[in-house]
Amino acid sequence: MGVFITTSTLPLVGSIVVFTAPYTATSCRASERWLDCPPSFARLCIYEYTEFMDAIISIKNFVMKFSGTAVINDLSFDVIRGETFGFLGSNGSGKTTTIRALLGMYQPTSGELLVNGAPYSVSGTTKLGYLPEERGLYKKETVIDTMVYFGQLKGMNRPDAYAESMAYLRRVKLEDKAKLRLDKLSGGQQQKIQLGITIMNDPELLILDEPTKGFDPVNRKLLMDIIEEHQQKGATVVIITHQMDEVERLCNRIILLKDGAARAYGTIDDVRAQFGGKSLDDIFITVYGDENEQEEENDA
Amino acid sequence: MHNISTVIRFEVIRTLKKKSFWAMALGFPLMLAAIFGVVFLSNQSTNQAAKNLQNQKYSLAITDDSHLLNPALAHTIGANFVTTKQQGIRAVTGGTVDGYIYYPADLTKNPIEVYGQDVGLFNNARYEGVAKALLLNSVQGTVTPSITAVLQGTAKTNVTTYRDGRPYDPSKEMILPGVFLVLFYLLISFFGGQMLTSTTEEKENRVIEMILTTIRARTLIIGKIISLVALALLQGAIIIVPAVIGYLLYHDKLSLPFVDLRTLPVNWPHIIIGAVFFVVSFLLFTGLLVFIGSSVPTAKEAGQFMGIVMMLIFGPLYAAPLFISSPDAPIVRFLSLFPFTAPIPLLLRNAVGNLHGWEIALSLPILIISAMIVLALAVRVFRYGALEYSRKLSIKEIFKRK
Repeated sequence: MGVFITTSTLPLVGSIVVFTAPYTATSCRASERWLDCPPSFARLCIYEYTEFMDAIISIKNFVMKFSGTAVINDLSFDVIRGETFGFLGSNGSGKTTTIRALLGMYQPTSGELLVNGAPYSVSGTTKLGYLPEERGLYKKETVIDTMVYFGQLKGMNRPDAYAESMAYLRRVKLEDKAKLRLDKLSGGQQQKIQLGITIMNDPELLILDEPTKGFDPVNRKLLMDIIEEHQQKGATVVIITHQMDEVERLCNRIILLKDGAARAYGTIDDVRAQFGGKSLDDIFITVYGDENEQEEENDA
Repeated sequence: MHNISTVIRFEVIRTLKKKSFWAMALGFPLMLAAIFGVVFLSNQSTNQAAKNLQNQKYSLAITDDSHLLNPALAHTIGANFVTTKQQGIRAVTGGTVDGYIYYPADLTKNPIEVYGQDVGLFNNARYEGVAKALLLNSVQGTVTPSITAVLQGTAKTNVTTYRDGRPYDPSKEMILPGVFLVLFYLLISFFGGQMLTSTTEEKENRVIEMILTTIRARTLIIGKIISLVALALLQGAIIIVPAVIGYLLYHDKLSLPFVDLRTLPVNWPHIIIGAVFFVVSFLLFTGLLVFIGSSVPTAKEAGQFMGIVMMLIFGPLYAAPLFISSPDAPIVRFLSLFPFTAPIPLLLRNAVGNLHGWEIALSLPILIISAMIVLALAVRVFRYGALEYSRKLSIKEIFKRK
């Protein structure tokens, strides 16, 4: 922790704080901005203050290597309780790997990944709703049996799980499909069921990996509404997506991941400011455009 | 605990709803009933056919150089004597008689020769049957029935052995501990495939990430194993209960020996040891099958390993006579102590009663530790292999991952 150059000892959330040494270039995070000053001058770093805010997710110096190859390089960021956080990046940038490591499915090579101050455990107290990128359900089971099963696994009793499942099915106009096998439903309908399972038992932390993948515009709107409802209930939402309009509509803060490291991190306005006021779409193209060119060259 | 019971309930109910389960559960007893029915009807039909053959009238010529035949007996079936073999054969080839039997002078060196008109594969046996029956009945008339019984090997024996001054039959004592051997064999045979594929479904359906972030891998695996045990016991009951009822009602009609179940000796130490070996062996192989299923991406690939596992489990059955006759042979000891071949030898030798105390003391901890290691590995592989949707997890990776 550096030295505060502020008038108050404990800065208000969102205020600007300036640090001097021992902050170094490597410890200055994506949300922080270096002051323009000569290299010989004391290194100063300015950032929007979030240090003492209540982080529901805290990732520090996360490194992940597969077969010796680093996929994530010293990644650090926080997700604040109650916010909607956009986790952006191109394919293969390490988003899903980070989430899997956060949720204990991968063991990190090094670093600290915490949910509510501790490594995530299914036997812990965090009420999680996770919609993975790899979609799937027990295809030979009925819709209602599957929903009730997951509801019970999330700690609900059977009648409550049944009631909540039916309420959701009515909402998404699938109540007549409750007793059908899942493999009799269309892909979009199965997606809705999976979303319903994700939000069962009012999770305090929702992690949605490309939630609108495969949804038509009508269902996308429905999904957005559902996410907003959970925001209003106080849930923290992490959305992993390529859809910039979703990010602008829903997210408080974002992180852009590239090659396993944070390319930008902060509020949407902050990130825009870092890129000269460009739109998020343009920023995405600026950051990841060269990857596409590289891919095209490789394909050629 | 809540989640384990939820998993068990879900797994049991979904399996009970499958037609394939009931096809298998009811198919085996029905198949057994069908086989017994066919055997029963076939026996009746064969007996009837034999009677019909005996009653058939056909002309017969005989030459008896053995001088053992009773001529009066031969005449009662309408047979005529001819003096030479050539005459008899000519009579058959010329069509004047249906059959001809030649009894040589020395039956220990030369066979009885039978010639006859072809009357079809099955009916041709009538000539040979008559040839033997005529000789047997002729000879029987010259000796007492007891001598006949001794010579035919039909003299009965009734053995009574004693232990501690009371009648004791060791063959009956092995029945109750032996039930665990039969149960193990049936359950692994019927449920091996289901155990192998029980965890591949989560992977193939891509539901694994939602599962692993909702319950612990260990909870899921334990829940699945308990549900498999419950289903296996149900399957066992579906097979055994009708079999016992059928046996009690029809054992005489099926020519099965009758054992009064109330008189079965109960050797509690052997029964308890058999039960413990059964449970631990079942867990060991369930763990092994789950381990294999978890380390490959699809049920199809898992199926390739089934043959190897079955060879390990049931291969020792080929050495079963050795387990009974030579319990101290090095190969028997090895197969009884090596955990992956031990279940059959241990359960069989325990039932027979030739398992030494030291072997129980050594093999049981080996089995228990092996089962625990395999189950722990199965959980580990399930966790780390779970996200390998399209490739097998190598042994190196299983141990390397933190």
